[in-house]
Amino acid sequence: MATSVLERPRHAVGVLHPELDSSAMDDHEQVEVELDMIDAEDIRRGAKRSTLPAAELRRLFEEQAIPFMDQLYAAAMRMTRNPADAGDLVQETYAKAYSAFAQFQQGTNLKAWLYRILTNTFINGYRKNQRNPYQNTIDDLEDWQLGSAESLTQGRSTRSAEAEAIDHLPDSDVKEALQSIPEDFRLAVYLADVEGFAYQEIADIMKTPVGTVMSRLHRGRRLLRGLLADYARERGFATATSATAEPASPRSTT
Amino acid sequence: MTDCGCDKAKAELEEYLHRELSDEDFRDVTEHLENCEDCTGEHLVGIAMTVKMQKACQEKAPDELRSAILAQLS
Repeated sequence: MATSVLERPRHAVGVLHPELDSSAMDDHEQVEVELDMIDAEDIRRGAKRSTLPAAELRRLFEEQAIPFMDQLYAAAMRMTRNPADAGDLVQETYAKAYSAFAQFQQGTNLKAWLYRILTNTFINGYRKNQRNPYQNTIDDLEDWQLGSAESLTQGRSTRSAEAEAIDHLPDSDVKEALQSIPEDFRLAVYLADVEGFAYQEIADIMKTPVGTVMSRLHRGRRLLRGLLADYARERGFATATSATAEPASPRSTT
Repeated sequence: MTDCGCDKAKAELEEYLHRELSDEDFRDVTEHLENCEDCTGEHLVGIAMTVKMQKACQEKAPDELRSAILAQLS
């Protein structure tokens, strides 16, 4: 069950720092935990361990998985919001991926597999350290509570001004806006818009139904749009919209 | 063919942007966008956001991290 995976305690510290907990669990148990975290689906479908020799697996890993490092690091930066944790997260992700690489089925989507490990590792470990008390209820908020980014009466000329303003914003504003939206929304938006994953792939990575992915995407993009419009206004770009002036105030959406 | 109208198009713009619509819905929305400046403007804002995020989120893994990861493969 997806929830049991999310609630599982974090054991992965031993991968990076074996000296810290080498006695905490034996190798067999360690591998079981990782397989469960990484790919319970594939195991159920009958995926088999590769029988390739270790040297060949290593060569394949270097050739196929290592080139995703910049991308994984970029995603980890958006997840953890700082370079030190992002580096640790990526290193831990590669350690787990390498130890489970014999179970990866060649010919299936390696990028999605790596992102699943990255996201799991983040959710099971790092997120606990910086847990937002509102995280669990954020999906239940009504749209008006999240604020409205799009004015229904907004005209054509202001939309083209808005698109242009977004285009002119510095990258730092975009990253700051992404950092400030709720984490589950941010992950969904990042995976869809930056990484180009399909909704079903995002659902698999985040272990959540496709409908939830769509809702998080919609709300995440809406919040983002409002923030970008605010930043553009602060910088004096003419977006000519006041749609987000009071994001927390109740308003009718009809 | 009849235009699918702004309501349907606006409701589906995000899935349109993410290429998640069925072929039929994709054609309907494309056709509507060709004739509706208002929805096209809305779609362009969506594209601007996506493109901007893709540009802004580029990162390069630090060299020390790369070395540490390669060193732990054994």
